[in-house]
Amino acid sequence: MHRIEVDAEISLLEENRKFAGENREFLAKHGVVAFNLMGATGSGKTLLIERTADSLGDRLKIGAILGDVAGDDDYRRVTKHGVKAKMVNTGKECHLDAHLIHHAIEEFGDVDLLFMENVGNLVCPVDFDLGEDYRIVIVSVTEGDDVVRKHPEIFRLADAIIINKVSLAEAVGSDVETMVRDARRLNAKAPVIKMDLKTGEGFEEWLEWLMDTYERARKLKG
Amino acid sequence: MSFAQSLLESVLRIAEEKKAKRITRVVVDVGELLMLNPEQLRFCYDVITKGTIAEGSELELNIVKPVIRCTLCGREFDTPFALCDCGGVVSVEGGKDAIIKKVEMEV
Repeated sequence: MHRIEVDAEISLLEENRKFAGENREFLAKHGVVAFNLMGATGSGKTLLIERTADSLGDRLKIGAILGDVAGDDDYRRVTKHGVKAKMVNTGKECHLDAHLIHHAIEEFGDVDLLFMENVGNLVCPVDFDLGEDYRIVIVSVTEGDDVVRKHPEIFRLADAIIINKVSLAEAVGSDVETMVRDARRLNAKAPVIKMDLKTGEGFEEWLEWLMDTYERARKLKG
Repeated sequence: MSFAQSLLESVLRIAEEKKAKRITRVVVDVGELLMLNPEQLRFCYDVITKGTIAEGSELELNIVKPVIRCTLCGREFDTPFALCDCGGVVSVEGGKDAIIKKVEMEV
């Protein structure tokens, strides 16, 4: 027996990149515009999908692939709002990956706009491209006003940043402007939308960004 | 955990190709921006290699820093952010991948 050393150049993310590419191809072929929706548990991801479906449901067919560690609570919620949905349980994994989406995506060739609701987590989802067109990060003021700078990568790579539950800021001692400033420092491109899904604040601004972005992407996909 | 899993699968595949009896050392370049905690990755690796030919192998992790530089004035930085004091856009390159560089084994 002897010892050998083998040189390699194998990316641990290569497998994910391959599936993400196939997902992207599928979405392009069917003219579906996809949004990877990321945020902590309780930040308002599912409610955002519900409200968006209530507003745009008569114009667009909306789909959602919902990632959660267990259960079908989100599925039951969004389908009540006319969203075509599928649950993906990730088990021990703390994020969706392109392979999990790959299994689910085939059923969504007939929707216009597809949300991929990630597992409630601001860390792990960052590194896994799902084949989406855009990334949205939603945080709430109840997570503390230092939550943005504690998770720089997810905000740096976002296409839109939503700060939710702003009407609770004073009650929980969070400074919304600090959150906005931190987000701006990390990301000069993405809109930073101050929102409160319960009162409706900022929701019009969100819809405007979503529709503009959707229409632009749709044109590019032909 | 998914990184450790994917690492083990790749390493076992290489070992199989070389008909190795035991894996003794694995070297991986880890991008700093992946924010993988080396201690956690090592712990996960030790757990999932149990009962495989990689059990007890040494996992060497090299942290690879991204290049963060202002596209206008050329100043370099340690952590990523959007705009330099000079008004230029800051570009961030590298530091986002995890790559197996070497596998040492007994054949």
